[in-house]
Amino acid sequence: MSEVEVRDLTVEYQTSVGWLPAVAGASLDLRAGQITGLVGESGSGKSTLALSLLNAVPAPGRIAGGTIEVAGVGDLTRLGGKQLRKARGGAIGYVFQASQNSLNPLKTIGRQLLDLGRSHEVGDLRALIARAKDLANRMGLDGDRVLDSYQHELSGGMRQRVGIVFALVLNAKVLILDEPTTALDMLSQASVLDIVRKVHDENQLSTLIITHDIGAISEIADRLAVMYGGRIVEDGPLLDVLRRPTHPYTKALIGATARITGDVDGARALPGRPPDLTTVARAGCVFRDRCPFAVEVCAQTEPELETFESGRRRACHVEPSTVLTGPVLTGTTGTPAAVGEPA
Amino acid sequence: MAATATLAASVRSRRPALTAFRKAVTRKPGRIIGLAIIVFFVLLAICGPWFYGRLAVDPNSLYAAPSAKHWLGTDFAGSDVLQEVVTGARYVLATAALSALFTSLFGVTIGLVAGYQRGLTDSALMRLTDFVLTIPGLPLLIILSTVWNFGSPWKMGLILGVTGWGGVARAVRSQALSLRERGFLEAARGLGLSRRHILLKEMLPNVAPYAAMQLMLSMIAFIGAEVGLFFLGLVPFSSTNWGVMLNQAVFSGGAMETPSALIYLLAPLVCILVLTLGIVLFLDAIDELFNPRLRERV
Amino acid sequence: MIQARGITRTYQTHGSFTGDRTVRALRGVDFTLPDGGAVSFIGESGCGKTTLGKILTGLETFDGGELVVDGVELSKLRPRQREKYFRRIQMIHQDPYSALNPTRTVEATLGDPLRMRAREKAAAGEQAGSWRERAAELLTLVGLEPTAVLPKYPHQLSGGQRQRVVIARALTVDPTVLIADEAVSMIDVSMRLGILSLLRDLRARLGISLVFITHDVATARYVGDGGELHVIYRGEVVERGLTDEVILSPVHPYTQCLLSAVPVMRGLEEPGPDRTAPTAALDERTPTPGCLFQPRCPFAGAQCAEKHPVLVPFGLDAAGQGEAAAAEDGSGHVHACFYPESRRVVGVEVGAASA
Repeated sequence: MSEVEVRDLTVEYQTSVGWLPAVAGASLDLRAGQITGLVGESGSGKSTLALSLLNAVPAPGRIAGGTIEVAGVGDLTRLGGKQLRKARGGAIGYVFQASQNSLNPLKTIGRQLLDLGRSHEVGDLRALIARAKDLANRMGLDGDRVLDSYQHELSGGMRQRVGIVFALVLNAKVLILDEPTTALDMLSQASVLDIVRKVHDENQLSTLIITHDIGAISEIADRLAVMYGGRIVEDGPLLDVLRRPTHPYTKALIGATARITGDVDGARALPGRPPDLTTVARAGCVFRDRCPFAVEVCAQTEPELETFESGRRRACHVEPSTVLTGPVLTGTTGTPAAVGEPA
Repeated sequence: MAATATLAASVRSRRPALTAFRKAVTRKPGRIIGLAIIVFFVLLAICGPWFYGRLAVDPNSLYAAPSAKHWLGTDFAGSDVLQEVVTGARYVLATAALSALFTSLFGVTIGLVAGYQRGLTDSALMRLTDFVLTIPGLPLLIILSTVWNFGSPWKMGLILGVTGWGGVARAVRSQALSLRERGFLEAARGLGLSRRHILLKEMLPNVAPYAAMQLMLSMIAFIGAEVGLFFLGLVPFSSTNWGVMLNQAVFSGGAMETPSALIYLLAPLVCILVLTLGIVLFLDAIDELFNPRLRERV
Repeated sequence: MIQARGITRTYQTHGSFTGDRTVRALRGVDFTLPDGGAVSFIGESGCGKTTLGKILTGLETFDGGELVVDGVELSKLRPRQREKYFRRIQMIHQDPYSALNPTRTVEATLGDPLRMRAREKAAAGEQAGSWRERAAELLTLVGLEPTAVLPKYPHQLSGGQRQRVVIARALTVDPTVLIADEAVSMIDVSMRLGILSLLRDLRARLGISLVFITHDVATARYVGDGGELHVIYRGEVVERGLTDEVILSPVHPYTQCLLSAVPVMRGLEEPGPDRTAPTAALDERTPTPGCLFQPRCPFAGAQCAEKHPVLVPFGLDAAGQGEAAAAEDGSGHVHACFYPESRRVVGVEVGAASA
């Protein structure tokens, strides 16, 4: 059962050369009770995808197609006005990227919480505060103290937790975290991840974590979706995807992660740079110019995201077995990284 | 293929400043209008008086209505209003430009040096700035006018500029202070680059949009100030300019009562309004002129 | 060669509500950086590691101890004379977005220090080639295509490319030491290894030594062999040893907490059996007369709240006898803990677990 079903979602941005897709035909399920990790480099469209789950793509962007079915709410792309506002926060809790800095510095946390309650027309504000305190306490914060604090009195890790309190205080069943551990040091990152897992389990949420750090996400996620150039290129159960990556990009991403175990010399950074809105390939596979497995067909037809075995999908023309046994991307040291836009 | 793309990219980003200027201005119609207005008035100030030479007075037609001969009618002395507006522009614009030049020169230099050096230099420069900020410009001008003849725009511009740079200096300093903490300035110091290099090449381009904006805004203020001085009659008239016209229209022409002097009153007023509008519209383009990131936004 | 002996730095803060407070950012840090060597410092944010980097590049002063660069004691020199030594130590900033001037192209960014360097060389009678050639050479060295990158503004480059430009800029003045302060933490994970292997390469090819400052222990592994790892907590080194040795068999509980926090790539790695975490959040306001880590330590014992432990070699008795040994001989695996115990906190590769 899925709490959120995204189907064929396309999000476009207006540029000087017309409307360009930042997310192109993405389909993704957030399964009830599971943590889904959405991994991609900067510019892969992962944050845009996450924002469209609130139907809050900022101008000059728009949802150009597809549906987002949220359990108990309906198709989010068709909602507007008050219904949409109720869904945001009420059904879907969102913790923004750099939420460490997204609190109002002039108001105490408690006051901002009351503002949130009033704007959502919560009748019983006392109960809201009580629930926030309870959430904060369970996350290892001193609820009373935190509500009386100003933003600057809290550390980065604490603010991140406050962000989660805000996202969940209205009893949202879906929790979305955008880069929750960026700019945190290792100890804070570990405790935030720990807390996300705990809160997720306690409240039986469906959680989506967006990150560029495949290492951090692998610690807590149940499922993994990999995004590149606005497309979801592979997804499946996390352990399985990490053990047997069948998309060359996933494989390269895993190989490019600095790890505390394993062979230092075996690790390889990804060559080249990730595409952005204007440089992403218009035809064929979006990854082909960085792909060691690319064949002729990759330049012509774009591979579809298809189920190739139970619970796993991939968008690649090359056989899974070839990718699995083939080489990781070839090294970068000394070789000039391609800088010019792919022609 | 990739090589041509990178070549094209390098040519594109190496385009001369002129192209960047054109692009930034033509991006929005308001900016084109603003620039057109400014250029129009500048041309008017430079070339206008050549067409008219000395002020011709026609004593037979006082307060004449607009006609083919006098497009905007005449004033109390029978001078052509259009001619006065055109010749008056030179003084107003020259004064505003000069005072703005002094303001930015002093303001930016002192603000940058104070923000970068900090310590004793900073304290000394900022006390000087505080002192300048406390000089009441208007009374000073009134007192000076008893001694000086403000017939040439130089003196008026100098006084307005010398008393007006305090705000710019404070603003630039605060920008410089925050820039100082940025990584690239730490790196420049670490590399051992000279102070001159750091101030002129690293910091100045970063405060430039800010300074330019301040400059344009202070020009508006200066135009208001000088016209106001003449309008109030606090400075003896020694040349034709918009402020004098306003003063004459109201206090001698009775423009408030008689409709015949209305055009005489409105002509300089509209000029001031349109010029201010032009500057405000053009302000919008300044950020993009200096900021390469905004310049190349898709 | 750089030697630091007991570097201390204390800040006085004047809070309007909190009152005056003394923050001891560094409490006597010693290390030796041999030519072409590498030293890493790891610790959480606020542990003083950034202050250390700034002191080493001359952007910050130290108020105790001595910094010796190539045998010259820097505190004996006047500030002007110090510049020459600090110029050889270049910093690679954490944030590649603020480390490059947004209004200047890569060409201008590299050109100015290169021309300055060329003038100096010419004045000294040395052969100075064309600065343009040198700029191209440096960009190639850091793995960028000169013709493509030179005319670009910083915002036209990705985070990884910017950091390479930052490294190229640091190399313009022919430094002997690079200080990398969180040099990869703001770059996409997928680009980090490229920067790390570049730093490693610079060590190997140019003999440049490296001070690597980070909160991410895993990245410290990639900057080079034979490097020493210093674990720094609240301005004090609490454990030191060869990088691999400290990572594989950490002794100090704080090191163990840091290493436990490194995410385990499940499916490829198993979590270490002794994984642990601090028992409380960092609180610098409460005085700690004993071990600085005692209030957060999961393994604190009776002595910890009263006595302050000093660095002693692992294997020796921590309390008394070890002290002399540590002072005489700073090398080897040392720690500052009364109850040292090697724990397996780091993840284990799947498959290697049984071995």
